[in-house]
Amino acid sequence: MECREMSVLIHEFLDGEIDELSNQKLQTHMRTCASCRQHLQELQRAIAFVQSASHIQVSPDFTARVFAQLPTPTRKKRFSSWLRNHPFLTAAAVFLFLMTGSTMANWYERDNTLQIASSNMDKLKIDRTRNVVVVPAGTTIDGDLVVRNGNVEVQGEVRGNVVAIEGKVVLASTAHVAGSAESIEAIFEWIWYEVKNIGNDLLPVFP
Amino acid sequence: MDFVEKRLTQRAKRGDREAFAELIEIYKDKIFQLAYRMVGNRQDAEDIAQETFLRVYANLHTYDESYKFSTWIYRIATNLCIDRGRKKRPDFSLDEEVEPGQGMDWYSRLSSNEKNPADSLVTQELQETVQDALSHLAPKYRSIMILRYIEDLSLQEISDIVKLPVTTIKTRIHRGREALRSKLRFM
Repeated sequence: MECREMSVLIHEFLDGEIDELSNQKLQTHMRTCASCRQHLQELQRAIAFVQSASHIQVSPDFTARVFAQLPTPTRKKRFSSWLRNHPFLTAAAVFLFLMTGSTMANWYERDNTLQIASSNMDKLKIDRTRNVVVVPAGTTIDGDLVVRNGNVEVQGEVRGNVVAIEGKVVLASTAHVAGSAESIEAIFEWIWYEVKNIGNDLLPVFP
Repeated sequence: MDFVEKRLTQRAKRGDREAFAELIEIYKDKIFQLAYRMVGNRQDAEDIAQETFLRVYANLHTYDESYKFSTWIYRIATNLCIDRGRKKRPDFSLDEEVEPGQGMDWYSRLSSNEKNPADSLVTQELQETVQDALSHLAPKYRSIMILRYIEDLSLQEISDIVKLPVTTIKTRIHRGREALRSKLRFM
């Protein structure tokens, strides 16, 4: 009868979860009970046999065979994993895409009226019939002069760039332009101009 | 080790195949061992191990990183083994096998001198006897005995794997030990 109770303790002992009091009880009992002693021994042997079951190894090409059965990554997945692996290029591509978009939009949204941007509007002479903006001889324009949908004829002085979009810049012999004079007619030139402007805005230029 | 594994599972989750290959390298023998002891032959065991990794791959996105990866993969493998056994043959009943063993023999006395059983030479015959003793356990006992004594996992880990309380695991281990003892006592 006591042995039945001890059987529970034996299992607690094997689980390593027996408390000190129960452990002493079990040890005392086993000193006198050969049957419980044997019971424990047989259990320990059974465990040892199972533990010593030699550890077998899987065939060497196992990993390769698992991979052969994996679903092949789809084109989309491969593309998205490429994007994940190249965050900088991805950011650059997105930036370029948006930039091109907005620049193109600027180009296509233009209208055909003559537009002038200058800080010295009063000094300019505008010839509406010929669609020409004239910087008269002897006048000085501070800063850039940008004209859209018309030509620019410079006879005086411009302390900045002269740009004609969809038009021409004509420099008279008396003209003096501190910056550059350029005519922009094609969309690619327009894009280039915009990109250059970004560069100019970003890089501090000291006079 | 756990940190490395965590990194690997995170990478594998993002679709990194190299990381997945490394996880296979870490676990293939453990999973194969479990499957082999469950089903008793190499071919079926390799099939189960392969299926385990394919399921891991397919379900990586559902893997909860707050649990150990080993718990998750052992659970998948154990379930596959038990499902396969269910299809193949009826289970043996364990519940009437447990009986208090009587009778002395000299072998059990001799064995008390055995210091480290793991070092002793394991013969082919012993291998087969152990496998046979395991195969006579019902799968729900067999899987737990294998996880405990061949995979060397703690009661808590086993409880996490099979999603049963530790007390249930203990009961099964006690019964499993008695069943193995009655099969292996005359070895």
